[in-house]
Amino acid sequence: MNYIKIATRRLFKKGEHSATRIISLAAGLAFGILLLAEVLYYHSFDSFYPDADRLFVVHENFKMDKSSDKLSSYASTSGAIGPGLKAEVPGVEMATRITHMGTSVFYTEDQKKYKAQFILADEFFFDVMPRSMVEGNAKEILKSPMNCMISTKIASEIGGGVVGKVIELKEYPGKKLTIAGVFEELPENTNYEYDVVVPLISIGKFMWDGSDNWLGNDRYYTCVKLGKGIKPESLAPAVRKMQEKHQDIVKLEEKHGGMVLKYTFKPILKMHSDNLQDIILILSSIAIAVLIVSLMNYILLTLSVLISRAKSSAVHKTCGAQPRNIQQMIFSETAVLFALSLVGALLIVLAVKPLAENELGHSLGAVLNPIVIIPIVGIVIFIMALISYLPARFFSKIPVVSAFRQYKQKKNKWKLALLSFQFAGAAFILTTLVIVTLQYDNLKNSPHGYNTEGVYFGSTSGMSGSKIGTVLHQLRSMPEVEKVGLGACLPIYGASGNNVLSPDKEKELFNVADFYSADENYLSILGVSVQRGEMFSEKAAVRGDVIISQKGAEMLKINNGWTEGVVGKDVTITEHGNTTIRGVYSDFIVGSKANPDSRPSVFFYRPEAAFIKAAQKNSAYSFKIMVKVHSTAQTGVMKKIEKVFNSALPYNDAVIKSLSLEQGKRYTKQRGFRNAMVAGNIVILLITIIGLLGYATNEAIRRKKELAIRQINGAKFSDILRIFLMDLELVAIPAIIVGLVGAWFTVDKWMENFASKIPLHWGIFLGCSLFILVLVAVASTINFTRNANQNPVDALRTE
Amino acid sequence: MISLKDIDRYYQSRFQRTFVLKGVDMEIKSGEFVSIMGPSGAGKSTLLNIIGMLDDPSAGEYYFMDNPVHKLKDKQKTEYHRNHIGFIFQAYHLIENLTVYENIETPLVYKGIKSKERKAMVADILDRFNMVAKKDLFPDQLSGGQQQLVGIARAVIANPTLLLADEPTGNLHSEQGEMIMELLQELNKEGMTIIQVTHSEKNAQYGTRIVRLVDGLVREDIPTNAKSLVAE
Repeated sequence: MNYIKIATRRLFKKGEHSATRIISLAAGLAFGILLLAEVLYYHSFDSFYPDADRLFVVHENFKMDKSSDKLSSYASTSGAIGPGLKAEVPGVEMATRITHMGTSVFYTEDQKKYKAQFILADEFFFDVMPRSMVEGNAKEILKSPMNCMISTKIASEIGGGVVGKVIELKEYPGKKLTIAGVFEELPENTNYEYDVVVPLISIGKFMWDGSDNWLGNDRYYTCVKLGKGIKPESLAPAVRKMQEKHQDIVKLEEKHGGMVLKYTFKPILKMHSDNLQDIILILSSIAIAVLIVSLMNYILLTLSVLISRAKSSAVHKTCGAQPRNIQQMIFSETAVLFALSLVGALLIVLAVKPLAENELGHSLGAVLNPIVIIPIVGIVIFIMALISYLPARFFSKIPVVSAFRQYKQKKNKWKLALLSFQFAGAAFILTTLVIVTLQYDNLKNSPHGYNTEGVYFGSTSGMSGSKIGTVLHQLRSMPEVEKVGLGACLPIYGASGNNVLSPDKEKELFNVADFYSADENYLSILGVSVQRGEMFSEKAAVRGDVIISQKGAEMLKINNGWTEGVVGKDVTITEHGNTTIRGVYSDFIVGSKANPDSRPSVFFYRPEAAFIKAAQKNSAYSFKIMVKVHSTAQTGVMKKIEKVFNSALPYNDAVIKSLSLEQGKRYTKQRGFRNAMVAGNIVILLITIIGLLGYATNEAIRRKKELAIRQINGAKFSDILRIFLMDLELVAIPAIIVGLVGAWFTVDKWMENFASKIPLHWGIFLGCSLFILVLVAVASTINFTRNANQNPVDALRTE
Repeated sequence: MISLKDIDRYYQSRFQRTFVLKGVDMEIKSGEFVSIMGPSGAGKSTLLNIIGMLDDPSAGEYYFMDNPVHKLKDKQKTEYHRNHIGFIFQAYHLIENLTVYENIETPLVYKGIKSKERKAMVADILDRFNMVAKKDLFPDQLSGGQQQLVGIARAVIANPTLLLADEPTGNLHSEQGEMIMELLQELNKEGMTIIQVTHSEKNAQYGTRIVRLVDGLVREDIPTNAKSLVAE
């Protein structure tokens, strides 16, 4: 029997709910699979490297400050660690070290401008983390100073024929690199992105060369390839021996009273996913909730349809069909519907592709790798088997004699059980959405401790030191500008670290977020005021004086016994030496509220003239010019500021940013997350409503005779409706409670990542529950009324 | 061919056992045309379902072609449906999304007959029942009589030894009913054993024997031409 042909015929038959089933399943599959693919994508990072399972990233673990018991772990080491591990730790087959130069604008000789991510790498880079070379020999290039190799993407942007061409970075005027090779562009699922590789032996031309340091200057991403079967833990004794030999670690430990530094090896395959555990948890939960809800909805509608076809199952049996034959028939029907749903899902994904790519931050094509595809195909097959098996088994088990005796009249409690999955899913995702949205708003909109409104900034990178003074003058001449200030770093981008030493300089007391230099206007532009002592000023401060956050002041008081306060005290901070504390300012959020830097912070005074002088002395030195505009300034002010900056830039490529917008971008991840929740919520609510409508219609038809008889015996339609809704709500209430409990556990776990979190108020849970209950009542009432409120005589006649 | 020994069929509730059939003994020989009659609730259809192996007796023994049906597994019963038993229903029970041709072909598919042979067999029966022109129509495009003809064609295409008919003319007007009964009679004359359930004395006369059930008990089992004491 041609089951597929027969199944295709059923598609267009009235009462089969084919379109409803296909739409709801397609929506569920599209969204569920998209999210699951994203979760799997996180696990696919760096899997494209050969022997990826043997690649490990060396982590440096140390105590940030003595008062802390927690070991901080970073995927960066000093420069000598990589070669040291290769030379002195048996089991380490290969090692390489790379370091970022940053994303930079560069220019070709024909004055064209491009943007790329630059890294410095040693000659073993492509031995450990290989890429195919299109042109040139990677090993030779990485041994040759001031050569570089670029990706196929950048080569194509330049227009091909790139080998031999010379490029110059905006940040390092005059330092010319010759392109000596082209490598195959990296896929998107990599932890360490780069477009241009510069030999590490050239580092001294661009920055201070600490590539052979055993301690400090820990900016290197060190990756090792271990021998087959070597467990990273087994390397610990040899690594310790290396530390004893080169770092004098025993003496260091004695000085600091315990373990201060150790190295561990983290599988490169886990580098990305381990940092995203919270997102993986939530995305997986939403994906599973959406898939379960859509599957249960499909099964609910399918079983409802099959009940009306119970007699045909019996007829097939009287014709000699075995349960296996009946199951094949249903399986074919499911296959046709599922294939159409998959096509629908694909179309939905294609339709939302631009939006999804924007929210996910990568192309959807990037997920097409074996680590994602194989499990997804497995999940799709499992889903198809499940939605085929359950209805097929149910249909084949209908007893022949019952089927011939109005089988559809039997009680259908199972429908309510299936609906309960949808209620639970809807409650779960709605509540999660509300909490995620509130948390996002809380992160983004609540005060960060500094002002961002009307503050713009740009870098002096690429600007001749001699022109900075003119730029500052022009900016101050603009009627819209209230104040102009200079600073090395911004709170939104976090800060580097240095240690505050004890008065005898023997102990490191704690680590601070070091914002380096700021002039007398910088902090007032940010609206950060000094609580005690004085703000930087030409009169009251000398270059190098420091102001410290409230938290830092408290820690100094405790550690040094400075009960009378810290203002005026001398303090030694690594990299800066001895300095005087001029003031104490209120703590503000360093980084973002999503991932705040909890260290105290410091600023060092540098007068405007000193900033300019430094830039004139070193062309690679750059800092930020901060501009505060009047509240009455028009929207075009950013363009005007850009114009002033461009007047001092040879390539007119100034980038002016709004501090407010940049701060908002710190929460892109949370926003993407909130948007994923919104989409998931729409899908689940849509499916739930479809399920409810289908249920209400089927129930109205199933109970048509009963309703007619009740009406004839004096019941009002509202009485009947009340009974129907009571049945439904009695199932909905426990299901919603299950959904709420799931939501509570999920968001509670997710919120562990935030220092600042909204309280999980019971009102949120109650509000979401009521919304679902009302939705259930309204959707069911409308459809039940439409289908059941007919003349009882007609109902009995058709019966 | 069929031997029923002390067959009971009852439904057990917590405190009560309600009998639908009680102590039914019956022998049906090959080639007979038996009409089962009785008032509503007498157990006629239940008896037919048990004979057709669609339902199991609660007690007693049932032998079909000397094989103990009460000991058969479902799979073995399916083999009997494929090879020996055909069903005709009052409500026709054609499969709505299959054409006339496909409905008639269904038992042959399950019997595992090859496509070419199936085509020939279906063509033969369509020809015999004058339904060639209707072969591509769906059931809802046919009249009641035509649907029942298709039902009979489907029931007999695999050449069963036993044809079970549950009120085959119940939904038809008298003219169509007569045509169907004549067709059944013709099939019986060709050697097919037929058991029908009917309320109609007239239709019962097409058979060779009448079994009358009252309250689950066989009250009379007589040849068609004999005078009934129960019916009066």
